[in-house]
Amino acid sequence: MQPAVAASSPGVSVEMPRLYQVLGPDLVPHDLMAFLDTWGGNILALGALILIVILMTRAASRSEAVPGRFQNAVEAVVEVLESLFRDILGSSTREFLPFLGTLFLFILFMNLTGLIPLLHSPTSQFEITLSLAIVVFCYVQIVATRKLGLIGYIDHLMSRPRDFVSWLLAPLMLLLHLVAELARPISLALRLFGNITGEEALIAAFTGLGVLALSTTGSPVGVPLGLPFIFLGMLFGLVQAFVFTILSAIYIAQVLPPEGEDHGKDTIQSEGAVR
Amino acid sequence: MNYLSITLPLGVCIAALGSAIGLGMAVTAAMNAVARQPEAAGKIQIIMVIGCAFIEALTIYAVVVVFILQGKM
Repeated sequence: MQPAVAASSPGVSVEMPRLYQVLGPDLVPHDLMAFLDTWGGNILALGALILIVILMTRAASRSEAVPGRFQNAVEAVVEVLESLFRDILGSSTREFLPFLGTLFLFILFMNLTGLIPLLHSPTSQFEITLSLAIVVFCYVQIVATRKLGLIGYIDHLMSRPRDFVSWLLAPLMLLLHLVAELARPISLALRLFGNITGEEALIAAFTGLGVLALSTTGSPVGVPLGLPFIFLGMLFGLVQAFVFTILSAIYIAQVLPPEGEDHGKDTIQSEGAVR
Repeated sequence: MNYLSITLPLGVCIAALGSAIGLGMAVTAAMNAVARQPEAAGKIQIIMVIGCAFIEALTIYAVVVVFILQGKM
């Protein structure tokens, strides 16, 4: 890791300085610095998780008939999430809301961590987004086996062959579905990682430019060129968390047994089948 | 200084150009759809965001390749 935005460096860095890098090698021992280089993102992710747990348990344990300000806010968030997933999951929304809602809040908090000065987004590390995507992948497999049964799931992967022609096509369908199934976590992880890393690099590059612009005059501060991109970063963090959870919800909805004639559900499912 | 220093930005540029055209078409279609049928706005919005995510992913893949190759520059 290069120590980032320094006015003396010739080029413009693509990484904002982190807290332990600002404190410098005098205050932070070398071992700790190497440790934080590797595990800093995981520690921040854990922090985001603990923050969510504290907020949500506080809201849940003190629930009253007449909600206070805090409880009202949390309930509004949950309601928005529920109405969002109801379009996709239909009547089984309640069953998957805890998983998907937690996923959304976790990713959102991790994305927004990067906008706090001296911290960085855990989601700008590929290991973290890949592990999130693998969690979703395993969850979908478990839901599929539980809802359809093992035979039913294989049947689903072969596009439910019922007549002669579709039985002929079944091996091809099985192969196609397996490849698609394995490509999903990779594309999910790459999308989140690329977006957040790109956004952080953008903010860092423009902040560095702002510092560089005034560095010849010896001014201690720079032009706040990165500021507009921080608002862009807030928007991106929200949208990416949204996209990640919506796609997870679609993957879950695809393996649910078909329920009645729910027209809206069918349209969105076929849209998701594009993957 | 090798060819990578010009081909990397150029590659992202071409990928972004394609994505921009695709996104423009997707958003245009979604806006037309909402104008015709405002009551379906929520559903259209979700489908549009998903489609946009898939289109955008292509540029993101180009950016990821740039990040990977940056070390060789």
